[in-house]
Amino acid sequence: MAEDPVAELLTRVAAQDRAAFRALYSASAAKLMGVCLRILGNRAEAEEALQEVFTRVWVHAARFDADRARGMTWLIAIARNLCIDRLRGRPEATADDEAMQHVADPAPRAETVLQARGEARRIALCFDTLEPDRAAAVRGAYLDGLSYQDLAERYAVPLNTMRTWLRRSLMKLKECLDA
Amino acid sequence: MSDRDIPEAPEGDDMLAAEYVLGTLPLPERLAAGRRLRTDAEFSARVAAWEARLAPLNDNYAEESPPDLFPAIEAKIFGTAAKTPRRGFGWAGFGWRGFAGGVLAALALAALLFALVPVRAPMVATLRGTDQALVIRAAYSPGTGELVLTRVAGPAPDSGHDYELWTVPAVGAPVAQGLVSAEQVRRRMPGLTEGAKLAVTLEPAGGSPDGTPGLLLVSGIVERR
Repeated sequence: MAEDPVAELLTRVAAQDRAAFRALYSASAAKLMGVCLRILGNRAEAEEALQEVFTRVWVHAARFDADRARGMTWLIAIARNLCIDRLRGRPEATADDEAMQHVADPAPRAETVLQARGEARRIALCFDTLEPDRAAAVRGAYLDGLSYQDLAERYAVPLNTMRTWLRRSLMKLKECLDA
Repeated sequence: MSDRDIPEAPEGDDMLAAEYVLGTLPLPERLAAGRRLRTDAEFSARVAAWEARLAPLNDNYAEESPPDLFPAIEAKIFGTAAKTPRRGFGWAGFGWRGFAGGVLAALALAALLFALVPVRAPMVATLRGTDQALVIRAAYSPGTGELVLTRVAGPAPDSGHDYELWTVPAVGAPVAQGLVSAEQVRRRMPGLTEGAKLAVTLEPAGGSPDGTPGLLLVSGIVERR
């Protein structure tokens, strides 16, 4: 836990160190591109979003608190938030197309095996306490940026039912993870 | 983390934080939660705790090499590169990268251009907000008094809301300047001067019902290009 080179770079970026900013880009761009591409599903948009992610990182690096988060976790949160904002803001038609694409994908990539180590193993065990459908819905929301509407369509349940599912699943996950 | 879980705290807030992190909230609720993050330390701690809880899922994101976007990012932030060769105009190809002399020459050229800019030159503003995907560029020609606003990043408002433009005087209340929900909006605003502050808020569909600004999304200062 102590070693966190990304956090060290972020601290230097907060002090307006442009060399550190370049190093941070080299260290994290591929991972953050993976996040943007998966959520937005389109390379041009993902590249554009990635530029915006780094712009935000430069502007807000001072808000990073190494006592509260790992550097990469913080960066990924920025990338996810930005990409999900864009996804939610897409015109309805596009959002529907997107939902259809997700629905058409029978084997969600979210099912790829979680790396069995440390925290990842723990979260995998906690996901195992959920019903499989619900665990997949939580993963689909987190990893692919699926909305309640998308998920409700995919699992053919009313939107409110989906919201209840996810809320209960989140509470169960919390109990399990914080135990 | 468990020490942050105050038992008597409303479960609603923790659920909202979880749904915010999960990303499932509809846009208006998402925007509201995003703004709360900056003013409400307890809510912000709840969000951070959820981010940490779900962070192991991040292992599922595969790495994807992007093209080298760093020059474009630097140009966006620092502007300098944008005033020299444009994005994609082979600065690496000409072996200029890291060539300090070239950069200095470009800066000197930029300084010279600044000195030559006539007073009636176009003015620009970039409207941004903290934790805000929305970015609006404004271009203003004092000659014609026309302001062109272009949404360059971020979502359009959903059907129940509109974006509204305001001029924010140094003293006194902001003045509504009409809806700017479309991707590009042209507006006659004679008399806009360098240093003027522009802001865009989220309003119910149709605009602010009482002439006062709603949720501030982005703002920026008009400056000489």
